[in-house]
Order: sequence, then C-alpha cells, then structure tokens
Amino acid sequence: MGPRWKGKDSEARALAEPMSEIVQQLQSCLIHSKTRGLLLGCSVLLGAGADCMDLLIRACFGQPIITAEKDKQWFELSLEESFYLFHSLRCLEIAGEDKRLKNEDEIWQYIISKKPAFPYFYKAYSHLRDKNWVVRSGFQYGVDFVAYHYHPALVHSEYAILVLSEGSDDVNGRLNVWSDLKCMVRLCGSVVKTLLVLRINRSDGYLAVSPLCLEKCNVEEYTITRWNPEQCREEKTINKRTGVCRMVSRACNNNAKMRVGDVKYQEEIAQDNGQRHNADPEEEKEKLEKLKF
Amino acid sequence: MTITLIEESFATHTDGLSVLETKQIRPITGIVEIEDLTSSSDGMSDLEVTSEELNDEELQYTSGSIPKLQFRKDTSKARWNAEMGMAKVIEKNGKMWITIGIVRRGKLYCTIEETLFLAEIGAHHLLDVGDTTLFLKDLYEKVAEGKSGCCWETFKVYRHLKSLGYIVGRYGVPWTMKSNNGCNSALQGTTKTSAVSDIYLPNSKFRKSPPGDPSFMLYVTRAYPPSRNEIEELERKCNGIPLKFSHVDHG
Repeated sequence: MGPRWKGKDSEARALAEPMSEIVQQLQSCLIHSKTRGLLLGCSVLLGAGADCMDLLIRACFGQPIITAEKDKQWFELSLEESFYLFHSLRCLEIAGEDKRLKNEDEIWQYIISKKPAFPYFYKAYSHLRDKNWVVRSGFQYGVDFVAYHYHPALVHSEYAILVLSEGSDDVNGRLNVWSDLKCMVRLCGSVVKTLLVLRINRSDGYLAVSPLCLEKCNVEEYTITRWNPEQCREEKTINKRTGVCRMVSRACNNNAKMRVGDVKYQEEIAQDNGQRHNADPEEEKEKLEKLKF
Repeated sequence: MTITLIEESFATHTDGLSVLETKQIRPITGIVEIEDLTSSSDGMSDLEVTSEELNDEELQYTSGSIPKLQFRKDTSKARWNAEMGMAKVIEKNGKMWITIGIVRRGKLYCTIEETLFLAEIGAHHLLDVGDTTLFLKDLYEKVAEGKSGCCWETFKVYRHLKSLGYIVGRYGVPWTMKSNNGCNSALQGTTKTSAVSDIYLPNSKFRKSPPGDPSFMLYVTRAYPPSRNEIEELERKCNGIPLKFSHVDHG
C-alpha cells in the first residue's frame, strides 16, 4: 500500500519540498531564536515567534494552543517530540518548574519518572523521524504512533505503529493474545493502515539511567497484515482482478449507486491499476527507496 | 459493574481526551453497554470509518490556519495571590463570572485553572503583587510549580470541558461561603491537587448559591486505567452522583 495523498497536487508539493529540508530549517530557526521549552506534566510547552511557528506546523511538531496572545504562538509537544528536538537535533533548550534550564541527565530523569517506558517509545519515534516520516500519537486508533509519508494535511497516515520490547518485561503488553492481534489487524484494515510493529531489542550494557541506553538498543521492523486465501488464488492477475473484485463488491454492499455491472466504474478501476503498472520504473524505484526503512 | 467507553468529539483540535463512565450492570441482559455520543460512529464498517479517519486527520493545522480568538471588549482584572494559590478578582466584567470563580466573604476568587483558562481566551488581565502584568508564560510556570492545586493534565480536561460549555468546579470546594468560619480552611484546600471535579451541564440559569448536585463527577486518571478498588472507592465518595473517568493523551 503506497501513500494515499489528499488532493491532486499534494504529492508534487511533497516532492518539491522534502520533509528533511523543512526539519533542517526548523532546526536552524529554533537555534537562532534560542527558543526554550517548559516541562509541564507529560508535555513540553513552547512559545514560538512567527518564523518558528510556521516551521513547527510544517514539520509537524506539537499541537498549537489557541490563545489570545498576539506576539507568540504556544505549542504543546509530546515528550518524544521535545526530546527529539533537544537530543537528536540539538535545537531546543528545556526549562523546569524552577525556570532553570535543565541538562540532558536532568531532563532524562524527569521524563523517566513520568513515563518509565520512554526509552522504547523514543527509540521507535526517533528511528522513524530520522527517516523523515512524520510521527504522531496513535492514541485514537489504540496504537502507539501513526506514521505519515508527509504532512497530515496532504496525506493519510500509512502505518499504525505498536512498540514492543523483547522478553518477559514487554513494556506495552500488546499482541500477547490472538484476540488483540485480530482486533488490531481488523482495526487497521478498517482505517486503511498497515500495522507496523517496532520491536526494540536491548544489547549488553543497557541501563535506562541515561540517554546513552538509546545507543544500546536497535529496532526491528515488521508489518502484520491479513492474508485472505479466497482472494489470492489466481497469481497472474492478482493485482488487477482481485483488486477490482474486492473494491467493486465493497462498493456494491455499501453504496447503492455503484453496481457490479457498472461499466464506467470498472473501467476507472482498471485504468487506475494500469497506471500503477505502467509507471516509469526509475521513478517507481526512487519512490520505493524513499519509502523503505 | 460495567464500564462504558465514550469517545468525545473534539471542538478545536484533538486533545486526545477520552471519557469512561461506570454504570450498574443490567440484571436482565448483563451486556456491556456501548454508548456513542458522537456523530462519527465507532462501529467500524469498512467504508464508513474512512470518513471518521478523515475527520480525525483533518484537524491537523496547516500554516496560517490556526483559528484566532474573537476580540473581547469586556475584560476583567485580577491579582494573583501566591499564598492562596488563587487570583482575587478586582474588576468583574462579562457574564462568565456566573459559572467561574468562588465567593468568599463577598469577594470573588478564581483557581489557577480558571485563571489560566480566562487568560488564554483573553478574558482577563492578570496582575502580580507589584502590579506587574502576568503573561501566559508566567501562568504556565505556576502550573508547572504544582503549588496551586492543579496539574497540567487536570487543566487540559478543565479547558476542554469549559470550551464546550460545561460548568466545572473543584470537588470539595464550595462555590460560595458566607460565614467566616471555615473560610480559611476552604481556601487552603485549593492548593492541594485534587483529581476530582464537579461537572454541571451547560446551563444559563446556573447559580452558585445553591448550585445543586453536579450532573456528574470527573476523575482525571494517570497512566493506567483505574483499578476496580479505585473505582469503588471513588463511587463511594460520589454518593450516587454518576462518575466519569478521563484520560489525557499526549502528542
């Protein structure tokens, strides 16, 4: 399943202005303006000027808080987002309740006290962000994160992400029973996302006492999808015909206007499938490279 | 006992709040009741949910699309009292004071969450002891200090419900108190953090004296869903008033 763009121009806009460039501009802007965040519960608040505000929105970090204040736009960032700006991009300073700037260890200790499983979630978050995926909370879907190919205003999220850790002290307690697995796969199918599992493996010397532990673990990725044997019996025309059958039957059940014998609809689907197959191989390869982890 | 999961639709952006309610189990069917308060249903048929997903994802802001608040001409004035952890209202303007603020000895005070909410919407001008203006940054820092009886998560729930028109009061803090006795202890109670609030449905005829019983009580949960013991203990305190639980997601 490739990215589902919203609107005709979205993909072109994304190619013209890659996310990596926007994040780089954000990094420079935050360093230049010496923006500092405030630790508040399990969030970090920061007040941004006009330049940084624009880049924070375009790079999709944090949620704007709607206030009457005119000279500043307040944003609320998650712990993962703020630590990424602080630790990986080194462009944000963070203060505590005493208004004093905190160093890396102090911030780490604060975050761990609020969220003991943070190292695993952060490893997963930074792993995807480093590859220029836009990563947001997956709470609404009952998962840990959702990943977008680009800004959520231009594209639907492709992956629903669960973070698991190895061994018996699995931090999330997910996918340990078939009912949970079935539930997640069904949910993901319904919202047109692929379930992506990021398993965080710890190597020797892992201790959660400092951010150095992040270097002592690696990420293993795998997707879980449902395979339907009824729809995959014919290998040759697997993409065209079964794709058409599935979509037409769905349309048939759920939309009174579409009929199985609706020639125009079938032609449109066939054209669409044809387009995917006739695409320039070099261009496709480039796109696939970008999508790869 | 059954637990009912209710998904709220979000007025402005996705705060990631969800609310749980406890109800008595039905003696006849014993079926877990699933209630849907939103128009975008959670009953997942394959094509329908795509539109729900669109609703969720459309709430992402693009540059220049952040809504601006309406300019208010009736702004009030209040002075922050650090010892009390509350602001004393000096000039009272606008109708919001019907449902905000507590009255003690004829004076109006507001809690940190009320103060911050009003400051965010530009409804009042806040001063410090020396008459210096306090900005949002200063108020966020006061919430971070944790000395005024409200943490950030509790404030987010407060702000979300107030924005929807609900009337929110702190559990155990009376809206009005005329006599001097017990006045100080009631105000002292405001500096301790309490995760429970009294919630009244939106009501233009709300009166602080007497407010009547709340429509329901709300407990802001932490990292994990409440245990059975916690639920039972809280229900006992509620004395028959319905209890709901809220969870705040971050990011």
